[in-house]
Amino acid sequence: MPHLEIVSLSSRYGSEEVLKEVSLAADQGEVLSVIGPSGSGKSTLLRVLIGLTPPSGGEVFIAGERVDYSSRRSLKGLRGKMSIVFQEYNLFQNMTVMRNVTVAPIKIKKRPREQVERQAEALLAKVGMAHKQDAYPEELSGGQQQRVAIARALATNPEILLFDEVTAALDPERVNEVLETIRGLTNEGITMIIVSHEMAFVREVSTRVAMMDEGRLVECGPPAQIFDAPRQSRTREFVSSILRH
Amino acid sequence: MDYTFQFSEVFAELPYLLGGAVVTLEIAFISFWGGAVIGLGGALAKVYGGPALKKTASTYVTALTNTPALVQIFLLYYALPDAGILLGSMTAVLIGLVLNAGAYLTEIIRAGIVSVRPSEMDAGVTLGMSRLQLVRYVMLPHTAKTIYAPLSNFFVWLVLGSSLAALFGVEELTGRAINVSTANLRSIETFAVVAVIYVVLTVMASASLALAGRLMFRVRAKVF
Repeated sequence: MPHLEIVSLSSRYGSEEVLKEVSLAADQGEVLSVIGPSGSGKSTLLRVLIGLTPPSGGEVFIAGERVDYSSRRSLKGLRGKMSIVFQEYNLFQNMTVMRNVTVAPIKIKKRPREQVERQAEALLAKVGMAHKQDAYPEELSGGQQQRVAIARALATNPEILLFDEVTAALDPERVNEVLETIRGLTNEGITMIIVSHEMAFVREVSTRVAMMDEGRLVECGPPAQIFDAPRQSRTREFVSSILRH
Repeated sequence: MDYTFQFSEVFAELPYLLGGAVVTLEIAFISFWGGAVIGLGGALAKVYGGPALKKTASTYVTALTNTPALVQIFLLYYALPDAGILLGSMTAVLIGLVLNAGAYLTEIIRAGIVSVRPSEMDAGVTLGMSRLQLVRYVMLPHTAKTIYAPLSNFFVWLVLGSSLAALFGVEELTGRAINVSTANLRSIETFAVVAVIYVVLTVMASASLALAGRLMFRVRAKVF
C-alpha cells in the first residue's frame, strides 16, 4: 500500500480548474519531486494536500486512510502527519528561532516543553542554525530562515514532508545550503514531495519525478526516464528548455 | 512693557493644578480604553463583517473623523437636552471622546489586522493551529506590534485633546488653570506652568509607552 495516494485530485480557483484529476502515489520514505512550468499546478497540489486550498474532486489517502478535507477533525489528524516548507519561509516574525520551532509541538501537540526544546536544539543543530536560536527571523538571511522553517516542519515529527519551491526566493549563493539540508533528510524514512526548479538536485535526490503542465500530470517516472528518455513530448520540451539554461 | 513675573502665586496653586492633571489622565485613559473597545469592534466589522456591518462601521468612522470632537461634545451636551436627554458635563465629554476615539482607533486597529501576513497565517494553519490559536499566536502579536506606535501617538493626542473638557466646566488641568488665572490674574504665569505640566505628562506617557513597547513587542520608539 502506498504511504501517500492521490486519486484524481482536482481544485478550482473561481471558475478556473487549476488542478485537473491528478493521480500520484508515494511509498514510505520515497522522495517524489514535482516539476513543470510556472502555473502548472505544482504549488496548488501541495496546498490542496495540506488542506490550505480545498479540493473540488478526488481523494487523498495516507497509509490507506482517506483524508476528509471538509472535516476539521480529519484536517487536524492530517496536520499531525504532514508538514510543509514554503517558498517564502513563512516564519512567525514575532517569535525567536527557538519559539518558531517549538510553538506547534508545545502549544498544539501539548508535548512537554523540555523534551520539545531538546529536540528543537538537535533539529537546529542538524540544519546548522543552533547558534541562532535566540535570533528573530528579520535578523537572518533567506537561506537561514528557510533552514529554520525546515527545522520547524520537522519538529512536528511529520511522516510526510512537502517542499514548495523552497529555494526559489533565495539568492543563488544561499540555494546550496538549503538543498544540502534537504539532501541530509532524504534517508530518514520521511516521505517527501518536493516541488522544485533545481533540476540537478531533483535528479540526484528523487526516487521518482512527476511532470505537470496546465494542472495535469503529464508523466511520472524515475529521474533517468524523465531527464534522459521522457515518454511525453511536453516533458521533453520542458526538460530540454530548462537544461539549456 | 513693564511686567513683573510672579510665579509664586501659581506655585501656591500647584497641588490644585496637579489634581487637575490627574483628572486629565483619567479622561485620557477612559477615552482611550473605551475607544479601544469600540475600535476593536469596528475594525473586526470592517475586516470580517458582512456588507451591512461594514457599511455601518464605515459610516460611523466617516461621520466621527470628519467632524471636530468639540462639535460632537457640543451636540451631546447642548443639543441632547432638547431631546429630553440631560447629560452631566463630565459624562458628555467622556461619551464624546470615547465615540471620537473609537472612530480613529477603528482605522488604526483595522490597519493592524490587515497587515498580518497571510503567509504566517498559512504556516499557523498547516502547523495545526485552531482559529483561537491563530489569533493568539499569529494575529494578535503582529497586530499589536504594528499598531503600537500609532496607538501611543493617539494616547498622547487624547491627553492634550482632553483639555477641551474645560469648555464644559470640567475641572481638569486646563479647567483648573482657567480658575486659577481668573482668581490671581496671572494668566501668563499660570498657563506657562500648565503648559510645562502638559509637556511632563506627555513625555511621561510617551516614555512609559515606548518602554512597554520595547519590552513587549521589540518596537523601538523614539520619545523625542
